[in-house]
Amino acid sequence: MNAGFTTLSTELPKTDPRVKLLNARIKKEHYRPDALIEILHTAQNAYGYLPLPVLAHIARSLNLPPSRVYSTVTFYHFFSLKSKGEHTCLVCTGTACYVKGAQKILDEIERQFNLQPGQVSADNQLGVAVARCIGACGLAPAVVIDDEVQGKTEPAAVIEKIHSKTGKP
Amino acid sequence: MTTITIQVNGKQLATEPDKTILEVCRANDIEILTMCHLKGVMDVGACRLCLVEIEGINKLLSACTTKVAANMVIRTDTERIKKYQRITTELFFAERNHVCSVCVANGKCELQQLGYKVGMDHIRYPFLYPKCELDSSHAWYVIDHNRCIMCTRCVRVCNEVEGAHNWDVMNRGTQVRVISDFNSPWGESVTCTSCGKCVHACPTGAIWPKAIVQGQLEKKPGIINELVEKRKMKL
Amino acid sequence: MNRQDLQLLTDQAKEKKNSCKHTICVCCGASCISSGSEEVLKKLEEEIKSRGLENEVAVIPTGCMGPCNQGPLVKYMPENTIYQKVDCDNIARVVQSQLIDKKPIEDLLLFADSREKPFLNAEEDPFFKKQLKVALLDCGDINPETIEDYFTRDGYKALSDVLFRMSPEDVIAEIKHSRIRGRGGAGYPTGMKWETVYKYVSDQKYVICNGDEGDPGAFMDRSVLEGNPHRVLEGMAIAGYAVGASKGYAYIRGEYPLAIKRFELAIKQARKNGLIGNNILGTNFSFDVDVRIGAGAFVCGEETALIASIEGKRGTPKPRPPFPAESGLWGHPTLINNVETFAGIVPILNKGGEWYSEIGTPKSAGTKVFALAGKINYSGLIEVPMGTTLREIVFDIGGGIQGGGTFKAAQTGGPSGGCIPAEHLDVKMDYEALVNLGSIMGSGGLIVMDQQSDMVDVARYFMEFCMDESCGKCVPCRVGTKMMHDLLHKICAGNGTRIDLDRLEELAVYVKETSLCGLGGSAPNPLLSTLRHFRQEYESRITTPGVKKELQPQS
Repeated sequence: MNAGFTTLSTELPKTDPRVKLLNARIKKEHYRPDALIEILHTAQNAYGYLPLPVLAHIARSLNLPPSRVYSTVTFYHFFSLKSKGEHTCLVCTGTACYVKGAQKILDEIERQFNLQPGQVSADNQLGVAVARCIGACGLAPAVVIDDEVQGKTEPAAVIEKIHSKTGKP
Repeated sequence: MTTITIQVNGKQLATEPDKTILEVCRANDIEILTMCHLKGVMDVGACRLCLVEIEGINKLLSACTTKVAANMVIRTDTERIKKYQRITTELFFAERNHVCSVCVANGKCELQQLGYKVGMDHIRYPFLYPKCELDSSHAWYVIDHNRCIMCTRCVRVCNEVEGAHNWDVMNRGTQVRVISDFNSPWGESVTCTSCGKCVHACPTGAIWPKAIVQGQLEKKPGIINELVEKRKMKL
Repeated sequence: MNRQDLQLLTDQAKEKKNSCKHTICVCCGASCISSGSEEVLKKLEEEIKSRGLENEVAVIPTGCMGPCNQGPLVKYMPENTIYQKVDCDNIARVVQSQLIDKKPIEDLLLFADSREKPFLNAEEDPFFKKQLKVALLDCGDINPETIEDYFTRDGYKALSDVLFRMSPEDVIAEIKHSRIRGRGGAGYPTGMKWETVYKYVSDQKYVICNGDEGDPGAFMDRSVLEGNPHRVLEGMAIAGYAVGASKGYAYIRGEYPLAIKRFELAIKQARKNGLIGNNILGTNFSFDVDVRIGAGAFVCGEETALIASIEGKRGTPKPRPPFPAESGLWGHPTLINNVETFAGIVPILNKGGEWYSEIGTPKSAGTKVFALAGKINYSGLIEVPMGTTLREIVFDIGGGIQGGGTFKAAQTGGPSGGCIPAEHLDVKMDYEALVNLGSIMGSGGLIVMDQQSDMVDVARYFMEFCMDESCGKCVPCRVGTKMMHDLLHKICAGNGTRIDLDRLEELAVYVKETSLCGLGGSAPNPLLSTLRHFRQEYESRITTPGVKKELQPQS
């Protein structure tokens, strides 16, 4: 469970460029509650995830009940309440990728880094996630490492790429 | 007011249009089982207990959300419907930790009543035994997610009748839970008015007042509609 | 802008296009981009410039050409010669031989590594020969990021014709005459849907384009949005005129940033040219479109859930009736069609409903886009007339099974569909035929499986998907999919019993009939279809506890 009073009363620092960006978007949407999802997208892009004080700020700005914002955030896969790590490895497990061995890639990642999908390494360097289909089925199996698509890849190549990103062996 | 005729289980009924099948059936003493329906708040058609067969429509439709139409031929008592009601009931019981003997609502629980009505003698599906929290941080009330069936009556009452919107639903699939504010302790809510309507709206032992022992719990779901009707009169 | 201005712009764009002797198209669909086609495009432009050919050769990025796993693809027009797996190193060689020496490089031609004799004109290759492009027309031939390229293909002519020559009733009649059915999966007649929305009286109506392509293994909508966004936009505007809506929303998956970018660009360009917005082409008709980005929920493909999501809420479905045509977005009459449906509107109005209705089968007119994937030689995007057999798609177009394996089944309709076994390879693919086989057309994902595929595991995989994607609102879907998944898991692990199998079958029918929305209603389909066609695989996995070994059923 999350703290109630303290989270909901936290103000965001006004000088933070991300807050300015967020406020600009909220203003552009005319503070309309139905723009909640668009605004959450903006916040997630700016912060990499959705910290609770940011959600509280959005709820106040759009005049929405906190539980309504929280319920929407937790409904959609795209939104995350936790930091996803400095570098991300997103393994597509769509049907085509699944048929072509996405599980082997996940197994190898778990063997090498001891991370399962949804987990972030202890040093916050690497986060592993799965996607339901990134739409690159012609390139199956596909893995996205820091926004870069690795098509027709294999376990060893993925591990090597991750190492080159995190700067470890 | 125009009058239309519909047929339910072979019986001709005269009714007004713009009513739901559920309203017409209840007004004519035809039993339809429900869980998520609560008079006074919007219907969501989520529990699927009130499904009925309508001639000419190949899908089963929920009686609480489907309006009657002239010459509709409805069946509420077929073997198929009874079978499905029983499966739904079993799934309710298997989903979370419903142990009547140690539940505060024992004897006063709508889910328990439902089990009796559909003649459930055992549950054929494996219990899922999820780990659910119990939140007793509120000064007067307790919410025990082990007993919650996700009917969302509390959510709707809080939003539509009290206007507080303390409750909502988080996550999806079997991970859904009723939450207060940011999934924070009920006692720390900034929106809850402690009005207690959710306590009466809750059909099971999921939300209950503190300082109550088994057998003493008195829930009055009827007061929700009473309130709504009284407000209309004032207008 | 008025009608004459549009004509003028179209003429200018065509003239400019014709002044170039050659056009080199570089596929910049998402698949080819991830194979490095953007660098190829840049390098190619430099190469042409360094040879001083920029006045006779135009280099353009285009949308998806089809054979996605052969990328990056480069196409020479008008010869229609496609080179595959082009990279920065061999691009100079390609330019030299194709443009200067006029002698194509055989070993880089499309499918050169798998066909005995690759074709100089790609249209003659069986991959393209059996196809008929309607929704995908011009996709892969024009630059999706400029409106001028769309003008060269008579862009917005259909909209202009509709606004000046046809009444909304005429448009609806033409669409009805074409017999086009919704391409999102359910196949509801589009003309009838339009008519229903048209008939409801309201001061505000909406048009929604459903681009929340959530089926794993499907990428038709993405390719259309990336390859020809103006076509979809024009289709939406025509729909707006026909049903009397002034506002449209395109709901596009957040997983498709390129499609979102190109569609937003198309809106901007069309707005600037007065082709959407207030008083389009000087008429009384006003129509504007906004993009809404999906946030990763499969259930939002269901129309009532999609509407809730556009309203900024949890994407949970509502019971129908009332249907969105009566009470949709913010309670107003709303028309929802899929991307592919909207892409088909312009050709129908340009060539006539009669023309469209003659393609395909008696009950399913027109063409269907499929995304071929799985254990198949040529995966990618294809469009074929309805009624094309599965054999033609898999073996003639798709080039057969990878690695010389044998065909076991084709999965259509994703998690809502089913598997078609080898004995039905000659089924003529249309809505009814697939339903009769226990599958559905769905949005068009077609995954090919070979002899190694474990059908019980396939059923488990799709059930896991539905369980994860269930919104959790209604009991049958929320708990039923979980129970079925657990039972399938047990059977997969070899611990299932006869009782488990019986429970599974009972639950499957129960969930199918009692769920609130289409997700739950179709979630048991992969299970039911594999049970129907591959029952043996289930039977061989189950054990009968408490029965002496010699009495165990033989499998």
